[in-house]
Amino acid sequence: MPGDHRRIRGPEESQPPQLYAADEEEAPAARDPTRLRPVYARAGLLSQAKGSAYLEAGGTKVLCAVSGPRQAEGGERGGGPAGAGGEAPAALRGRLLCDFRRAPFAGRRRRAPPGGGEERELALALQEALEPAVRLGRYPRAQLEVSALLLEDGGSALAAALTAAALALADAGVEMYDLVVGCGLSRAPGPAPTWLLDPTRLEEERAAAGLTVALMPVLNQVAGLLGSGEGGPTESWAEAVRLGLEGCQRLYPVLQQCLVRAARRRDAAAPL
Amino acid sequence: MASVALSEAEKVYIVHGVQTRGVRSLRLGTFKEDLRVDGRGCEDYRCVDVETDVVSNTSGSARVKLGHTDILVGVKAEMGTPKLEKPNEGYLEFFVDCSANATPEFEGRGGDDLGTEIANTLYRIFNNKSSVDLKSLCISPREHCWILYVDVLLLECGGNLFDAISIAVKAALFNTRIPRVRVLEDEEGSKDIELSDDPYDCIRLSVENVPCIVTLCKIGYRHVVDATLQEEACSLASLLVSVTSKGVVTCMRKVGKGSLDPESIFEMMETGKRVGKVLHTSLQNILHKEESLGTKRQKVGFLG
Repeated sequence: MPGDHRRIRGPEESQPPQLYAADEEEAPAARDPTRLRPVYARAGLLSQAKGSAYLEAGGTKVLCAVSGPRQAEGGERGGGPAGAGGEAPAALRGRLLCDFRRAPFAGRRRRAPPGGGEERELALALQEALEPAVRLGRYPRAQLEVSALLLEDGGSALAAALTAAALALADAGVEMYDLVVGCGLSRAPGPAPTWLLDPTRLEEERAAAGLTVALMPVLNQVAGLLGSGEGGPTESWAEAVRLGLEGCQRLYPVLQQCLVRAARRRDAAAPL
Repeated sequence: MASVALSEAEKVYIVHGVQTRGVRSLRLGTFKEDLRVDGRGCEDYRCVDVETDVVSNTSGSARVKLGHTDILVGVKAEMGTPKLEKPNEGYLEFFVDCSANATPEFEGRGGDDLGTEIANTLYRIFNNKSSVDLKSLCISPREHCWILYVDVLLLECGGNLFDAISIAVKAALFNTRIPRVRVLEDEEGSKDIELSDDPYDCIRLSVENVPCIVTLCKIGYRHVVDATLQEEACSLASLLVSVTSKGVVTCMRKVGKGSLDPESIFEMMETGKRVGKVLHTSLQNILHKEESLGTKRQKVGFLG
């Protein structure tokens, strides 16, 4: 919160005591590299948002809300030739505005809300992954706002946020070509390590490289890709991408069921 | 990025040029004629001009001209306190400024978003142990270290910003000269910092493992390296790969509104690695040649 005058401010710089603790060498337990943590997904839970979704995978909890379409800010943009299927010309296409926020208590260290560069980078990654899936041409001169809030970071936060955002968009009734499913991967340090699917926070912290893949399962198109670290040669990264895409395909039936349940709930609640 | 007005016919012309198959000779069979508007092949870079040591107030600087894209990077080394989690290392801070000279859209706060995006990408590609030896930037653990402020100025935008910026950053880091400093401790425990008298006594960074970004734009069903503004307008999605000279990939990112086929991603990664290796060898050659010329080098600066 900018300009928070109500609370008595502590010292300028503060650190959690864990930084000074002796190095506990609790290596993360060995596990099957292709295991996906059980996922709990629920759509349509916020009353004030057009569409919303809550996703929990292991310790990662993300809440996402979609509002719109409402009139886009920014000046008039000229027209052009219309696209196929009655869509608006390229200059009149709708916009997707994404916002990614971390709760201050989400990670190990407290991070004050204007999180700076990292949150903007992840918001941009969200936007780049969701745009291929949404039919923005059907919302001329309008903007859709997607806001993702990370309540707890238990590993693969961006992947969970991507999936939750896609569920929220579907729940809001926004026209889409396909759902977007996200999956996180990480590679442990060492001479010849394997890529681990859906890492926990501990595995992510010790990782030498991390990757998040976003897939549109039915169309089999990669909507988003963001990775960095010492991943090794291109073959290693290619193997990681394949593993991630498989993970996304395995997650898809859970999301389908979640949307069906939400639709049934909405039907039952609607007055006849 | 700067927008360019392209008609549908021009877009089709560019896309066909990249994709077209043509029969070159009946004996040799069908060839893929990958011909771009300026005559380059799909994996060719435009002519790159690199010059280091252009700004005298910095510890290192470089200017790169890639076609119409003009980048100026200045590196300043300053002493500071190391981060708490990494008490034995220095670090790098990136700042990218999209000047209003580059394109009128960057006036006022317009260029901020692009600047943050590029800075975040630079943080990502340097975010691993092997790119820059951060331990050599440490002066005394937990107390003093060198912080390298890398400031990137976008002077002119002509397409393919990421590649040009990464080349300029590598050249500027190669050119950086950090003065040798010693921390002397008195009997009372007060520390004094001593700078060496000889202005040429400095530490240089090893840029062997500094990665360079290769942006591959998907146009039609093929991909091109080093796209101009017009080609970028025809491409829906690009893959940004950051490669070191040994072919190790440190960062991968999909940019753009469209989606990519998994098979294209694998092909683009291979092309990126191949092109990246060639780019690194030529850059190293140029930098070493420029350095070996020493004082005899003709400075072109901003007049050329």
